[in-house]
Amino acid sequence: MSRRITIDPITRLEGHGKIEIFLNDAGAVDDVYFQIPELRGFEKFCEGRPVEELPRIVSRICGV
Amino acid sequence: MAKLNLALYWAAACGGCDVAVLDVNEKILDIAAVANIVLWPVALDHKYADVAKMAPGSIDLCLFNGAIRNSENEQIARMLREKSQVLVAFGSCAISGGIPALANLKDRDDILRRVYLETPSTVNPDGVLPQTGCPTPVGDLHLPEFYDFVYSLDQVVEVDYYVPGCPPTPQRIWEVVQAVVSGNLPPRGATVGALDKSLCDECQRVKRDKKIKRFYRSHEIITDPELCLLEQGLLCMGPVTRGGCGTQCINANMPCRGCYGPLPGVTDQGAKYLSSIGAIMDARTPEEVDEIMQGIVDPAGTFYRFGMSTSLLKGAVKQ
Ligand code: SF4
Ligand code: SF4
Repeated sequence: MSRRITIDPITRLEGHGKIEIFLNDAGAVDDVYFQIPELRGFEKFCEGRPVEELPRIVSRICGV
Repeated sequence: MAKLNLALYWAAACGGCDVAVLDVNEKILDIAAVANIVLWPVALDHKYADVAKMAPGSIDLCLFNGAIRNSENEQIARMLREKSQVLVAFGSCAISGGIPALANLKDRDDILRRVYLETPSTVNPDGVLPQTGCPTPVGDLHLPEFYDFVYSLDQVVEVDYYVPGCPPTPQRIWEVVQAVVSGNLPPRGATVGALDKSLCDECQRVKRDKKIKRFYRSHEIITDPELCLLEQGLLCMGPVTRGGCGTQCINANMPCRGCYGPLPGVTDQGAKYLSSIGAIMDARTPEEVDEIMQGIVDPAGTFYRFGMSTSLLKGAVKQ
């Protein structure tokens, strides 16, 4: 029987991640997907903010 | 005494709140002595499935940081609410949206387009955008739904206490943990780990008569390190922000951006600030008012830097 192993969440890093491992009938790895379920969109919401404020905004991309 | 079950979670967050917890330094050992940690993704390996198996109410204290940006954030918030006796909105993002809620000034589709199609470092020739479901030859994959709005924790579940700050200071965190351990908690709904007085009350800078002829951006002026920054024309949100942080930004010669949130009884910190600066502008005519206001380059993003989700404004573009 093919089987799926889900590691959710992945830990000890900044951010959110999930790994899906698909095993085939023989129990060997068929395919693996690494997914990032989190998005905040700094790329967009920094637009329009005063440039001198950015150090205090983008420092919240990662606080680890 | 039986050990407490403690959960720490991050939704849409940067991890700074979690690191602030670690910044209690060796006192973390005292926390470990009284508490079993049952979830803490930044530091330990518990999975959502482990928490899902726990009985309702079996977590004594959950410190939840981060905003509600997508359906996964909301699902985990609902699960942790069910499992926790005491759910704390921990930090600005959980309390009022924080920095991630600046996205409420933008349209959802514009955000996705910018991030996945337009940024110079992106290579995405097929123009693929995140999907909530995606079939593959080996099985289906699922991603959370990216919401139109960023919400505060208490906009999706009931919250017992609020610990403000971006992030809360380690000293204040330690006081909160001690209050929980000793059972010495204020009435539900209270803000803990902050003062009921304004930041100006805590601020050591010399305050004189506030009469403002023009506002400066921080690179346009060399400020006097002894004097109130607002009096010198920098937009300091001290008058409308709860004290408790130890005037961290002011100590670094930067004006407060309001991360400790509004004072008790105030819903909209930004609106309150607008009325306070209205009162200190040294203008006699509407034209003079206009001219002074020109000096404020990004009112929404400045006055609601940490509080867009719970502001009356909510977000500028939608609805
Ligand atoms: S406005 Fe800012 S600098 Fe002035 S007293 Fe208040 S906190 Fe201090
Ligand atoms: S000075 Fe204002 S923005 Fe800075 S840490 Fe304190 S409350 Fe937050």
